Amino acid sequence: MTVKKSDINHICDLSKLRIDENEISTFTKQISDILNMINELEEADTDEIKPMAHPMNMSQRLRKDEVISNNDRDLFQKNAIDSEDGFYKVPKVID
Amino acid sequence: MERFTLKKLIHMISQREISSAELVSIYFQRIKKYDHFINSFITLNQESAEEQSLIADKKIQAGNYDLLTGIPYASKDIFCTKGIKTTCASKMLENFVPPYDSTVINQIKNSGAILMGKTNMDEFAMGSSNETSYFGPVYNPWDLERSPGGSSGGSAAAVASGIIPIALGTDTGGSIRQPAAFTGITGLKPTYGRCSRYGMIAFASSLDQAGLLALTAEDIAIFLEAMSGFDPLDSTSVEELVPQYSDSLHNSIAGKTIGLPKEFFNNSLDTESQRILNQGIEIYEKLGAKIIEISLPNVGYSVPTYYVVASAECSSNLARYDGIRYGYRDGDAKDLDDLYRTNRQIGFGDEVKRRIMTGTYVLSAGYYDAYYLKAQKVRQLISNDFEEAFKEVDLIIGPTTQSPAFNIGEKIDDPVSMYMNDIYTISSNLAGLPALSHPVGFIDKLPIGMQLIAPHFQESQLLNFCHLFQQETDFHLQQPQAFLDD
Amino acid sequence: MKWETVIGLEIHVQLACESKIFSSSSTKYGMPQNTQASLVDLGYPGVLPVLNHQAVVMAIKFGLAVDAEIAEKSIFARKNYFYPDLPKGYQISQYELPIVFNGSIEIPINDKSMKTIRITRAHLEEDAGKSIHDKFDNASAIDLNRAGTPLLEIVSEPDLSSSEEASTYMQKIHQLVRYLKISDGNMQEGSFRCDANISLRPLGSNVLGTRAEIKNINSFKFVEKAIEFEVERQKAILEEGESVIQETRLYDSEKNETRSMRSKEEANDYRYFPDPDLLPILVEKDLIKEIKKELPELFDQKVDRYIKQYSIRKVDAIEIAKNVDIAEFFEDLIHHFKENYQQAANWLLSELMGYLNKENISITDLTITADASAELLQKIHENVVSTSMAKIILKQLIETNDSVDEIIETQGLKQISDSGQIEAIVMEVIELFPDQRDQYLSGKQQVLGFLIGQVMKKTSGKANPKMVNQILLEKIEEYRRR
Repeated sequence: MTVKKSDINHICDLSKLRIDENEISTFTKQISDILNMINELEEADTDEIKPMAHPMNMSQRLRKDEVISNNDRDLFQKNAIDSEDGFYKVPKVID
Repeated sequence: MERFTLKKLIHMISQREISSAELVSIYFQRIKKYDHFINSFITLNQESAEEQSLIADKKIQAGNYDLLTGIPYASKDIFCTKGIKTTCASKMLENFVPPYDSTVINQIKNSGAILMGKTNMDEFAMGSSNETSYFGPVYNPWDLERSPGGSSGGSAAAVASGIIPIALGTDTGGSIRQPAAFTGITGLKPTYGRCSRYGMIAFASSLDQAGLLALTAEDIAIFLEAMSGFDPLDSTSVEELVPQYSDSLHNSIAGKTIGLPKEFFNNSLDTESQRILNQGIEIYEKLGAKIIEISLPNVGYSVPTYYVVASAECSSNLARYDGIRYGYRDGDAKDLDDLYRTNRQIGFGDEVKRRIMTGTYVLSAGYYDAYYLKAQKVRQLISNDFEEAFKEVDLIIGPTTQSPAFNIGEKIDDPVSMYMNDIYTISSNLAGLPALSHPVGFIDKLPIGMQLIAPHFQESQLLNFCHLFQQETDFHLQQPQAFLDD
Repeated sequence: MKWETVIGLEIHVQLACESKIFSSSSTKYGMPQNTQASLVDLGYPGVLPVLNHQAVVMAIKFGLAVDAEIAEKSIFARKNYFYPDLPKGYQISQYELPIVFNGSIEIPINDKSMKTIRITRAHLEEDAGKSIHDKFDNASAIDLNRAGTPLLEIVSEPDLSSSEEASTYMQKIHQLVRYLKISDGNMQEGSFRCDANISLRPLGSNVLGTRAEIKNINSFKFVEKAIEFEVERQKAILEEGESVIQETRLYDSEKNETRSMRSKEEANDYRYFPDPDLLPILVEKDLIKEIKKELPELFDQKVDRYIKQYSIRKVDAIEIAKNVDIAEFFEDLIHHFKENYQQAANWLLSELMGYLNKENISITDLTITADASAELLQKIHENVVSTSMAKIILKQLIETNDSVDEIIETQGLKQISDSGQIEAIVMEVIELFPDQRDQYLSGKQQVLGFLIGQVMKKTSGKANPKMVNQILLEKIEEYRRR
């Protein structure tokens, strides 16, 4: 199975990646190889099988509704390259 | 140069033969002397470690200390460590300093052990050779032209070379066991949910587990107690009591049954490996175990199943890396889309990109049923196979890898060939089972490993079997040549 | 060509939990930017979600109140897309197995009939943060305080056929979530937001037309207006023979129009899959039973009860029960004042609500207790004060800390109900205004009002008006006999 360059471009759009022109062919081939390998799954007989939700058959534990303040804005924002006045900044978005 | 086991170090401390400060100093000397050969460390925590060792010594002198007080260890650079750079071997997190400790790190801190540094790994844990690291590859101490395996290559190489006694790793598809096999040491991946994932940077959430690389099963048993246990911050953490793993190491295994999956011992293994493994199996027989053949009929689908599930999960887990709140950020972005794409193009390496792309593809409209849903069904099949098998046997044995360590550069351009490295290890991640690799022999002077797989939460059994094996053999005591000159 | 309007509403309700749905941060509104955003909310490397118990309970309460099915097992799924106010690059929501499904609610469509609106599902999810575009010149500002706030998304079938029905449905849901106390429904603060899916089809057809989605409508009035505009817009397109584009639009309340949202134009492939960091939610039958037992009385039951138990007029019962806070105040009031429930209702609706509306405050901001109000009512009932005096007392009660008795005392507001006293003043007035007296006696009945007014003036409004009326009539008739 081969993926086309247009598929690669679409995937990059969805995942906000960018592949340079000179690399697209390589990536296209590599992803195709990977998908070929993955396609072996088709042969498995999964007719009556339910998909696995979790390796351990457990249910979600519920947390008590209480506030535990774990906020340290200034410390956290040391990791952000562009922040001002307590806000995170991004290029202007027009809705 | 002697590679001290954890047990030996604990003994020396308790006998006051050595102080923690001296230990820390010795190991930093070793790191300084040898790490440039193997490139196993990304960050060293020297100043803090030295301070901690002085505090540890006071406690030891006062007679008020715990088993691991003052003992040095290293952590794969995937565990968030407060105030200490945590990079995941990626440019994306090159300068990231977490404002918090992961739960496992915190637990170990409370046990008294001292963090010496953060070890090199495949970028975001994606790889089987430690060649995808932004900080350069790790070199196998047995042969510096070979890979130590991955993704916990740094931890493996550091322990194997004796520059650190024990190290944390993570295992998603074999990333502890395969490097342990390639470097001649012992590596354990616990049951899924045994150790907290909080603070362990996520690759594939339903497969990732924290584990250990050390020289012996005994060492792992001691350290595992400290890092295991329920964590309310991790919804997938299991409320299962943590046993005293050290207590059951010496139990007899007479009467236990070991299963050999026929699918593991077919033609994919070369004759020499087959022979060495058989020798290993004979030792377990000698120790009293019964050997029978079993079948895991769907285990052959492990690799494709894994690559669907792991890629899908990682494509989503890595969406948070956009440079806005932390991480690499390009200064010249024209608009929001440009910001995202540039940050991620520059921040991520090729393997990470490939996995994100594969994951995005298998989850995308029209493909979900054929890929993701199908893979989760096959995953259930594989898990069922193990469940059936464990009705007949107490433990399953198989190879860890197809061959000894390969050359650096040999497989990096052929992703699928690289993925096949995990063929024996992946299925235990899919089923959430605990698994261990220990040295079993040598081919052309390169170590090879043998893998043990146990039912859920039976780490004690794995460690018990391995410990007895290591009392009978000395494969685990062999040291890489390059480091014997001290 | 006659067109039929087909509308479905998606309502996002912020649940009134103390902490967020997957982290322990506070959900308090209006705090300084990013001071309620923990590492989990910020999507830091290595963090993990843990589900808030109260969010589950509140979702179940809603499900029970709309006769829906509560899923024994429901799953959280990741909705993957990139936006700066979505820190993880995915929203944790529910997709294939929501916690509540197959419910319905009745809405009045005119004075006589009710219409059933089916509720397809209600599911739990986390809210995103906020982007503010006018804070900086060359950048958008991101505040993640809101990221992780628990939301219940309520999705209706496209059973609504007009903008009025949509507004009524929206109001009914609003009332319900406030009754259940699962949300404060504060639309100004964003606790209650509505998206409308609107399409047209030829009358009689049962094939759905292409729909447009109008996002983030935050008032009942706007939902009507937005729908009206959109229906006209789509009608115009279809009558040209063109097709409506399936897209997301925003309602501009100033211009009263909807317009296309540029940034979300590309069809988004959200790649939903079950969130591997969370496990399936298993709801036990016992929990459902327990919650059902503790469900508060809802609107319809309350109206019924007011009519049957307290003999309140239906129209008044509806007016009081409309707002759960008013209903609760009323019930507290009549707990203390049992003489005449209808009188209490009247007083509440005209006097108290009158005051609140004039001052533009809500009943929850009221500083006086139902207790004190009951005292006042008692005085009115016993004719100790007149209605106009009561108005003055009410204002004083609210504005000061004094009790009813204290106010009556200090302001001398006690009503004069002594017939001797009133008689004397009445006689005075009749003597003072002989012309008007004669006018009345010659048939101009309306002049009585003037005379009553004079008596009230002389008593500074304190005379019991009924008695004044009665005594004045008596005395003035006596003149006739002279």
